[in-house]
Amino acid sequence: MGHHTRRLVVAALAAGALGFALAGPADAQNFTKPVTIIVPYAPGGTSDILARLIGPKLSEGIGQPVIVENKPSASGNIGADFVAKAAGDGHTLLITDVGTLATQPSLVKKLSFDVQKDLVPVTMVMFSPYLFAVHPSVPASSWAELLAYAKANPGKLNIANSGVGSIQHLTAIVVQKKRGIDWTHVPYRGGAAAIRAVVANESNVIMNGALPTTPFVKQGQLKGLAVSGEKRLAQLPDLPTFKEIDMPIVETGSWQGFLASKGTPPPMVARLNAELRKVLAIQEISAKIVELGGDVRTNTPDEFTAWMTKAIAEWGEVAKAENISLD
Amino acid sequence: MGRRVDIPDLAFAGFLLALGGLAFHLAGELQIGRAGEMGPGYVPRGLALVVVMMGLGMALRALFAGGRAFPAVAFRPLVLIGTAVALFALLLPRIGLALTSAAVVLCSGFAAADVRLRENLVLAVGLSAFAVALFIIGLRLPLRTWPW
Amino acid sequence: MDLIGNLATGFSVALTPANLGFCFLGALIGTLVGVLPGIAPITTIAMLLPFTFTLPPASSLIMLAGIFYGAQYGGSTTAILVNVPGESSAIVTCLDGHQMARKGRAGPALAIAAIASFAAGTIATLIIATASAPMAWLALKFTAPEYFSLMVLGLTGAVVLAHGAPGKAVAMVVVGLMLGLVGIDVNTGAPRMTFGIAELGDGIGFVPIAIGMFGIAELAVTLGRPQDRTLLDVKLGSLWPSREEFRASVPAMLRGTALGSILGVLPGGGAALSSFAAYAFEKKSSKTPERFGHGAIEGVAAPEAANNAGAQTSFIPLLTLGIPGNAIMALMVGAMMIQGVQPGPQVMTSQPELFWGVIASMWTGNLMLIVLNLPLIGLWVSLLRVPYRLMFPAIVLFCCIGTYSVGNSAFDVGVMLLFALLGVFFIKVGAEPAPFILGFILGPLMEENFRRAMMLSRGDPMVFLERPISAGLLILSAVLFAVLVSPALRSGREKVFQE
Repeated sequence: MGHHTRRLVVAALAAGALGFALAGPADAQNFTKPVTIIVPYAPGGTSDILARLIGPKLSEGIGQPVIVENKPSASGNIGADFVAKAAGDGHTLLITDVGTLATQPSLVKKLSFDVQKDLVPVTMVMFSPYLFAVHPSVPASSWAELLAYAKANPGKLNIANSGVGSIQHLTAIVVQKKRGIDWTHVPYRGGAAAIRAVVANESNVIMNGALPTTPFVKQGQLKGLAVSGEKRLAQLPDLPTFKEIDMPIVETGSWQGFLASKGTPPPMVARLNAELRKVLAIQEISAKIVELGGDVRTNTPDEFTAWMTKAIAEWGEVAKAENISLD
Repeated sequence: MGRRVDIPDLAFAGFLLALGGLAFHLAGELQIGRAGEMGPGYVPRGLALVVVMMGLGMALRALFAGGRAFPAVAFRPLVLIGTAVALFALLLPRIGLALTSAAVVLCSGFAAADVRLRENLVLAVGLSAFAVALFIIGLRLPLRTWPW
Repeated sequence: MDLIGNLATGFSVALTPANLGFCFLGALIGTLVGVLPGIAPITTIAMLLPFTFTLPPASSLIMLAGIFYGAQYGGSTTAILVNVPGESSAIVTCLDGHQMARKGRAGPALAIAAIASFAAGTIATLIIATASAPMAWLALKFTAPEYFSLMVLGLTGAVVLAHGAPGKAVAMVVVGLMLGLVGIDVNTGAPRMTFGIAELGDGIGFVPIAIGMFGIAELAVTLGRPQDRTLLDVKLGSLWPSREEFRASVPAMLRGTALGSILGVLPGGGAALSSFAAYAFEKKSSKTPERFGHGAIEGVAAPEAANNAGAQTSFIPLLTLGIPGNAIMALMVGAMMIQGVQPGPQVMTSQPELFWGVIASMWTGNLMLIVLNLPLIGLWVSLLRVPYRLMFPAIVLFCCIGTYSVGNSAFDVGVMLLFALLGVFFIKVGAEPAPFILGFILGPLMEENFRRAMMLSRGDPMVFLERPISAGLLILSAVLFAVLVSPALRSGREKVFQE
């Protein structure tokens, strides 16, 4: 039934797009009706908050109402599929994260759409690093000490992740293989549940978004070891970066971006890119994004496409090498 | 013979056997794993077995414990309300909330034995307007009002 | 004692006209969305999030928290009046609340629900103000084995929910557990029993099942009975509870509050148990358990109190540990972060006005809810005078819209239809849906924690007995099971089949 519905909707929207095309090529970058931002997750996640943060300002810029619609389920693939099959007129946008855009394509073989072919990257929005921490009862205060501890005490470390196939999980697997550290991967339903488990000493190692994890490190409920990327955190300046401690993966973290449907004309994509960058340049908005735990990171559609291609290839390699599949 | 069988219990036992069997079959494709590292099929298969066993037990008891007939089912409300819900699922994505609401109210209204046509029509229009006002204008649910 | 000073700080924030206004607005919106089946407070909070960006942090949190507990309250109104539960806690309220309504006692049921909510809210606010720290300690003592054992206890209690044959109730619990496992397996990421349908990846939705099985199924069966011209079997009685009803309710409320306060603190599933547990406890400890399921006032008072106390204390792990216990609390974390407030233990010391202001507002909010709702009871009850043939099409329509709106998905409406038909079948064969739903909610939590505990113990099942809290909960379950089974064995299958 779902398929049939979708076809009819596509037909209806295509008819609309046709009428719209007849109005003349000059209109290809104008907004003629409300714009819908599809969030493929339940309300409350980072993608959802970003959409609701950006939506009202975007609406001012394009002179049309902006509606945020959640289409949760299937790790974001239902919502992404909806946008992939919507009319390519720039009026249906997808905001989603590294999961849908970089890892799902390699982990799920039977996806009903092709992330690279059926979606048009518009711009990246935000990048946030990971914090690597342990429970205070683990006798190690640096990565070197943790490695030594793991060697001396096999089977004692349990690393919590926010779900099978999440970037946290894949990163931990790469570290395990490349550095020979022995830990058991314990999956949780999302980052908040993983933090709770490590604070309660159910699992004892965690790699998780820097912002939600930082206060626990500051309060001494967790012991910070390092932060991903090449830049130290302003809030925890003593923590070394993954680059400094020579982690096998340095640039790992979570990111979000906007995409449009296949067939959206390049002038429209350019207009959307310009409007979104204008919104993200607003001091009030960028300050909120920093509070959400990341840096505003915008780019051109081409740069975003290249970024995605690289990420899909890299994580795909990890997934293939480890034979991880979610089918 | 018929008087000896508890038909409702037998029907429930049949349901358990069918559902348990189906779940066992579906979980059969999943890995079982071992206690320290259970596969996705470990728990579902165990539960499916329990359901099947309970179904068998209940079937045996139903065959010998007292006779009861299956209670009467009023098909008119069941069919009409079921159709109304199905109409909602099929129509809403296509023709918007206003017309879908009217269709659902019209259809389900006939489930009542004492339905009055004119009253039902007025109710359909009224509830449709109310739903649009409440859910689209008031609560701003991302729904279309009209087909266009 | 610090408490007085802290509460004074809190009330100085909560009682400013602006914050009282936001609190009222939140409670009002919450009640409205709570009354509408399926419209979840989480959707509403997300929708209002952008409007709160411009407010001061305390005001925005006060309003969002108001929506949350307002919705808890509103949900019970719908459960009592039309037997449609919008969320898990309201299912138990349906059992006796709706039976009371059918006997013309809708007014007292609504009044007791409101009073129980208020009493529980007041006590829970005091608990948060005085005992946050030790309660938070409890939250950290619960790890995978403890959660598993708690769920076992909860499921054993689920059998008490049924008033028919215990054999069928046990079967329904297991069927619920099994259907709860549909979807992507947390531990391996493998989709299970989904028929390859992507929409089932996150499992079968709770709202479509609950609304289908309770609301729509009940409605289709009721309409089949020719005598039911209105929702009521008899004419409306007094709006106010009688002296006896009050006397029966007060201890039930207190017990419910105690149970709810403790369970609400446990992140990830504790709160889901609170109303079920309170109901099961009342029924089991009652001298006249046979009244339950036929309109026992304690069956409304205890779960309503437990539910609201639990909703309130679920703020404890959020405010003291920074750990959100459920999806709504996770959304509150988002709201706090956008306001530049990092949730966690430091909030209490670094921003006492915010911390105590929000806590004090919970009490003012509960006060507003009761002021708002007691006068509304007359209005709600008069809705029952509307001929049923005009009422039920509206119920069908609202159930459809509510179910659709959860995930903007027509698929969910289809799922609701399927479970409505299944619900009719269950009614006809005398199998009750409440134990099924509890199994459905707890099934995935139980499996997840069971497998995680086994994984962390490297496959050693003794872990469930070696940890004292876990062992205690398992022993309690065994005792409860023995108590439940022995009379059933003795008296055989004497229970009458009832529709």
